Amino acid sequence: MRQVLKDIFSFEDRPRFERIGFVVFILIILVFPWMVHSAYGRVVMIKFLLFALFGLGWNLIGGYGGQVDLGQAKNVGFGAYATALMMFWWNTPFWVTVPIGMIVAAAESFGVAYPMFRLKGHYFAIATLCVALVWKELFVFWDWTGGARGVELTIRPTPDFTYMQFGSPIYYHYFIFLLFITQLLFMNWFRKSKLGYELQAVRDNEDAAASLGINVYRTKVITYTITGGLGAVGGSFMTVYYLYIDPDFVMPLDLSILIAMTVMVGGAGSLWGPIIGAAILIPLDMYLGAWLGAGKRLGIDFMVYAVIMMVIAAREPRGIWGIIERLRKKG
Amino acid sequence: MLLEVKNLVKEFGGVVANADISLGLERGKIFGLIGPNGAGKTTLFNCIAGYYKPTRGNIFFEGKDITGWPAHRVTKVGIARTFQSMKIMPNLTVEENVMVGAFCRISNRLVARRDAQEILKLLNLAEEANVLPTELPIATQKRIELARALATRPKLLMLDEIAAGLNPLEIKEIVQTLLRIKEERGLTLFLTEHVMEFIMTISEVVTVMAAGRKIAEGSPEEVAREEKVVEAYLGERYAKGKSD
Repeated sequence: MRQVLKDIFSFEDRPRFERIGFVVFILIILVFPWMVHSAYGRVVMIKFLLFALFGLGWNLIGGYGGQVDLGQAKNVGFGAYATALMMFWWNTPFWVTVPIGMIVAAAESFGVAYPMFRLKGHYFAIATLCVALVWKELFVFWDWTGGARGVELTIRPTPDFTYMQFGSPIYYHYFIFLLFITQLLFMNWFRKSKLGYELQAVRDNEDAAASLGINVYRTKVITYTITGGLGAVGGSFMTVYYLYIDPDFVMPLDLSILIAMTVMVGGAGSLWGPIIGAAILIPLDMYLGAWLGAGKRLGIDFMVYAVIMMVIAAREPRGIWGIIERLRKKG
Repeated sequence: MLLEVKNLVKEFGGVVANADISLGLERGKIFGLIGPNGAGKTTLFNCIAGYYKPTRGNIFFEGKDITGWPAHRVTKVGIARTFQSMKIMPNLTVEENVMVGAFCRISNRLVARRDAQEILKLLNLAEEANVLPTELPIATQKRIELARALATRPKLLMLDEIAAGLNPLEIKEIVQTLLRIKEERGLTLFLTEHVMEFIMTISEVVTVMAAGRKIAEGSPEEVAREEKVVEAYLGERYAKGKSD
């Protein structure tokens, strides 16, 4: 037990500059709402933390597991709808809906993982994409989920810690930060765990992993299940933050791809990669959108965005973290 | 008998890679498997280690029928292997590579790490512990694979061409290492090899395969004298050199 706690909170094995960088990063996030007063800046910050959260979860299967999953949006949707519908129907407190959303997403992931991991590489990626699209269509089609109209929650004017609804974005800032840091600490434990090492062995060489007594198939299924559960947390946050959700908003293909992209650009399979990726892509996306997307020049922001991503992918397949590591080795 | 293969047949489509192979490995001995390219040596290894499902026949390990078991279960039962074409985890350090092997029997990370460090020391790899294996020469990478297989605490260790591509000095080293770990850990070794100097000196019993069949079995000296073996594999010169 003590060992587990130590594994969660200890970054001892990381080099010094990483630990210093991490502390600086945490301090910046903590004082951010008091330094930046622009409403748009705060929105960008919350979205960055949300996507860093998504990235951390996806990094499990996509980075440490090396399985390109293009369907994480379905898990976001499960979380978002679990929270929205339970609040809408039964007034369930937020903190009750989160674990339920996670369980639903994990259970579904476990179910579909079974046949999906018969496939490898691109075929697996296509399968995940299809499964996510099917779920989205189902949520549009069903009446009990509110169909294409989605679910709208009544706004609670006073800060409410049972339903996690606040008038001021400052609350949401610390709220998403809390979720983010929890997931980061989980990942810090995971990367040192037996499953974490076994998963990396599977990613690097399946035959070798099997020769060391690792059940390759089971390892992938377990990881995919956990990834599903983690994805739902951010979905629950989206519900109480935006107070309105529909399938096009919480489970579109774009969302799945953006989650995968942030991790790949930042550096898949590293602890900091998803954070770096989100720190670059989310502000870039939002400011480019605000700057170039306005007026009649629709689509230019996407093109610029795509070019930047392609350059990073071509220069260093291990993402920005890969570039940092290489520079450090040289220096 | 530690391992017993009975009438094993492996077919790929119409091609018979292993035709009716039977052999038995006694505990604590060193067995060699030789034969020309395409004789079916690696196929036999893959059948035993759970990478191929045999078409017919049975494999027993310590009396237990393990025919058709998946590779990870075969490892758990006590059979470890190395690969002909190297299969090292490139993004894990040398120590982590070995640690993953240790996780086969040990759940605690710190205990697994200590175990890995011990094995690295045993194989003179302690200095390379925190290096990525891809930065090291082939001979060292082979030792890492060996260390990783050892970390799973096998009873039977199967080595698929561990000496291939090594120079005579490195071969000498690996022979000494193998003999040492065999004694220390009470292992049974099963090797395939093309380097005759290596396999004929280290093995106690040699099995010869050609075209998917077992054509001879016996001590290295006996086998080297057999006409069929000379004809199929060793060549006139090797046999003469031995008898002179």
